[in-house]
Amino acid sequence: MSPAQLPSRGDYFKQWRGGGGKVCAVFPAQYPKELLWAHGVLPMEVWDPPLAPARAQGHLQPYICSVVRQGLELLLAGGMDEVGAILFPHTCDSLQNLASLVADYLEPPAPSLFFYNPKAPFAAAAKGFYVSQLQALEDDLALIFGPAPEGAMEQALEWSRRLSELYARAYARRAAGELGVGAAEFYRLLRAGEYLHPQDYIPLLEAWLNEAPAQGGPQGQGILLSGVLPSPPDLMETLDGLDLRVVHDDLLSMSRRLLYPPPGKGGPLEALADCFLAMPPCSTRGSSLSERLEWLGGLAQSGGAQGVVFSVVKFCEPELFDLPELRRGLKEAGLPSLVLEVDVNQEVGGQAATRLEAFGEMLS
Amino acid sequence: MSLSAKARMQFMKDLGFPAMLSLAKATKGKRKPRKANPDFGPPLKCAARLKEIMTRHYYLSRFAPGARPVAWVTSGAPVELLRAFDFYTIYPENHGALCGAQKMGPELCVAAEEEGYSPDLCSYARVDLGHFFSGKTPAGKLPKPDLLFCSNNICQTVVYWYKVLAHRLNIPLVLFDTPFNYGEITEANIAYMKDQILEMIPVLEKAAGKAFNMERFMRLAELSKSTSQLWGQCLETMQTRPAPMTIFDAFVHLAPVVSLRGLPVAQDYYEILLAELTDRVERGIGAITNEKKRLMWDNIAVWYKVRDFSELFAARGMNFVAATYTNAWAETIKHLDMSHPWESLAKTYSLVILNNNLEHRLGLMEKMVREYAVDGLVVHSARSCKPYSLGQYDLKRLLSHRLGIPAVVIEADITDYRFFSEEQALTRLEAFFEALEAA
Amino acid sequence: MSYFAGIDVGSLSSDAAVIDQDGRLKGWSVTETGPHSTNAAEAALDAALTMAGLSRDELAFVVATGYGRAAVPLAGKKITEISCHALGAYSLFPDVGTVIDIGGQDSKVIRLGENGRVADFVMNDKCAAGTGRFLEVMAAKLGVGLNDLGRLSLAAGGEVSISSVCTVFAESEVVSLVAKNHPIDQVIKGLHRSVVNRVAAMTGNIGIKPRVIMSGGVAKNAGVVALMSERLGVDISVPEEPQIVGALGAALMAAREAK
Ligand code: SF4
Ligand code: SF4
Repeated sequence: MSPAQLPSRGDYFKQWRGGGGKVCAVFPAQYPKELLWAHGVLPMEVWDPPLAPARAQGHLQPYICSVVRQGLELLLAGGMDEVGAILFPHTCDSLQNLASLVADYLEPPAPSLFFYNPKAPFAAAAKGFYVSQLQALEDDLALIFGPAPEGAMEQALEWSRRLSELYARAYARRAAGELGVGAAEFYRLLRAGEYLHPQDYIPLLEAWLNEAPAQGGPQGQGILLSGVLPSPPDLMETLDGLDLRVVHDDLLSMSRRLLYPPPGKGGPLEALADCFLAMPPCSTRGSSLSERLEWLGGLAQSGGAQGVVFSVVKFCEPELFDLPELRRGLKEAGLPSLVLEVDVNQEVGGQAATRLEAFGEMLS
Repeated sequence: MSLSAKARMQFMKDLGFPAMLSLAKATKGKRKPRKANPDFGPPLKCAARLKEIMTRHYYLSRFAPGARPVAWVTSGAPVELLRAFDFYTIYPENHGALCGAQKMGPELCVAAEEEGYSPDLCSYARVDLGHFFSGKTPAGKLPKPDLLFCSNNICQTVVYWYKVLAHRLNIPLVLFDTPFNYGEITEANIAYMKDQILEMIPVLEKAAGKAFNMERFMRLAELSKSTSQLWGQCLETMQTRPAPMTIFDAFVHLAPVVSLRGLPVAQDYYEILLAELTDRVERGIGAITNEKKRLMWDNIAVWYKVRDFSELFAARGMNFVAATYTNAWAETIKHLDMSHPWESLAKTYSLVILNNNLEHRLGLMEKMVREYAVDGLVVHSARSCKPYSLGQYDLKRLLSHRLGIPAVVIEADITDYRFFSEEQALTRLEAFFEALEAA
Repeated sequence: MSYFAGIDVGSLSSDAAVIDQDGRLKGWSVTETGPHSTNAAEAALDAALTMAGLSRDELAFVVATGYGRAAVPLAGKKITEISCHALGAYSLFPDVGTVIDIGGQDSKVIRLGENGRVADFVMNDKCAAGTGRFLEVMAAKLGVGLNDLGRLSLAAGGEVSISSVCTVFAESEVVSLVAKNHPIDQVIKGLHRSVVNRVAAMTGNIGIKPRVIMSGGVAKNAGVVALMSERLGVDISVPEEPQIVGALGAALMAAREAK
């Protein structure tokens, strides 16, 4: 299984739709994908569609982040015309307003669904509330896509458990230096989960993990990659090109929503609520800075990272607010860090590459 | 709490502050009075009292530590709970507005930027953190908090911001998580908020070192309610033509209902203000001398430009008579009902404008346009404030389309004028004036 | 005797330095980059060699640095300008603690550790504020030569403050200030202050450790240096040829490579 064999987003979408499959477009970041699977719906996550910004400009001020901008661009460019619903999790102020802008003012091609994640410090009431949100989403999904068939929820949780294992294995192998691939390949494989149905994705991921070499990836300094998402793609290529070894990540789109204990065996909604509450600390969920620092330190240690690279989406408030204290704390712990501001639709460019290279020189 | 600190605070309240104020007045009196601007009616007499109240509030705050528990509070948090414990409350957003009005925004923002905070973050937060790092403030000195009280009914930003303070100061952060209302408010949301309030009480008891007293809470909640209602009535006087005050006045007279509500002083103040405004209405005194057009403002004030803008518009016979911003502290208080205190407190704070969908905002603005006979709309796109600003382009389009009134968007910021291009704003406003005068 | 060269290919100027095995500077050059980085690098090198009275064959090793470093085929190694600036400054001032480099397109602040190594650094983001480019745009708008800015700023009686940070906004602000008859020298001083504030805000992230060196084209502008020194509250040393610090560092790297 090589990354070249992965179907592209576009092809997979066409194929799925061709077979009469149902699709829900999903904006960042965290949402109960199991509920969608249970209703036979394929979630298509919208993080960084590679489109030239045009139509979205007329609706958004220049100080809104590129993730929101590109997502809206995709919608306005007709990229969601064939989906059955659009789901907006409550991630940050910008996505909150985007959801309402789309639903209330822009006459979207499909009904909008919303999902509010409770914010930390979590009250004891957060779990019950999360379950109520799941229930409400479940009802909405049933209205749009029809009720989930008998046993579908159990099957969805089974997929989720299997994926949890595979993700954990991929990360553990990489951290142990036993996965000989660069960042570009690693994230291409893991990001395929943003658009492939688990039935197709699980075997692909298994095959890749079984076949991926133990040696042969970048050999240089080990870094921990933090931020929102592994994008723009040329950032990964730049890291590989500079021989920097990404040993672990603390990315919102990746480990912060993928690495958590698999759902337990109790009631399905309670199990999902437990998963949510056990997710790694994250800026958008309001996790405290000491929790995040401790977590980052642990990640760096597990992979032997010598430094941390923060790849922050420009204008992303949740990430930018945490940054100075995290950097200060990491520095005290002997971990230097570097900040890159990125726009997901723009190449990182030579200047950022220089900074990464200099960071590598500094760590060596 | 230490006894001597309490005694000192009492002394400053009774004797120290009045003495200081009369001293300040004596020196002030020697200054030449500003020449009256013929575009404006007589100034509000209340302004002096307002200044005294706010100065006193900030002045006395420095004696609070040790005497009373100190909390830093976000502008949308259910402060009634804190009042019941006698917290001395500081509103960093109000302090940010103060710094903005004194044109200290950039200076304090830079102090935060030097610590690594991005210039793209909300400038209320940057001003506050800049003050925290540098100690600079026009208010003399702010007391360090014992507790942070935060509600995300205005934005998530405050959670990120207060997290930094909690980490630096190593003090508890109490969050009131108010799920955004994408549609109508739901029972599940209300139940979640109610449960949080009940969980919060023991935490506040511990921080304040005293037990919660339900009776006292209810009394202060009623006081808070009547204060907000009085504020609402003050705003409603602007429905008359000519309006007895402008929104630019209201931006300033808003301070007590934001940061002192639930205290008798705020209620007393709005009684005086309302009396003065009613009297002006009866006597037909307008805030500006020649009110030809009536405007509505969307978003927070451009604090460093309040004076300039007010003159600019007054010179053209244009008066701002309504704003979504000033309205926010009056609009939802009607839900507060002591026969079911927790649910109603939850609703009061969850239904504020920024915690609700854009359809809700559009409806509210349409209603205000009608009630206040508004002829035009000025939309401040505030770089700092994503929840207030994202969606405004379409809001403006829909509103001016549906109601057939001219509207303009100006790109600015609440305190950080480094991101404000006066030339660009004036060009847009000129075009707006032309459209309005032609209408 | 063996010789080493460093070439710093920046967006505006390409600079070269040639040293001998004892690290003594034998020749240097500052040339315009123009559209072809490769040609510019070679021209800069040849100019420096001419000054040194040497030919390319006599060079034992060449290191390229700067924005266009990848486009220098004759270099044996490419190293970032961050590391080269640090080493270059260290060779000139062994007690250097911090290097502030304001170039045409980017500005950077480097804190040094032991032996000229980089301990920490920051670089400006995509925006032109706080770079030489900002001053260039403004000088053109005001019709003042780039080289006259420093003199005018130092002689200014007062200062007109520029509030906009954005280059585009600041441009229109400057136009309107001049239209309102504010003296040009005072506006220039305000513009310098704006660059200084922007760069100084970056230093906060890593801390200033004396002795502070300024390099890059803007270091030749005494007005900026004076305001920076005032703003940071430290003395600032400027090398005789502030534009070749990176190239010198690269040449020293070349000497290290050969060992
Ligand atoms: S990048 Fe940041 S601001 Fe943008 S959508 Fe994601 S969390 Fe929100
Ligand atoms: S200005 Fe906006 S973002 Fe900033 S604290 Fe106020 S509501 Fe939040």
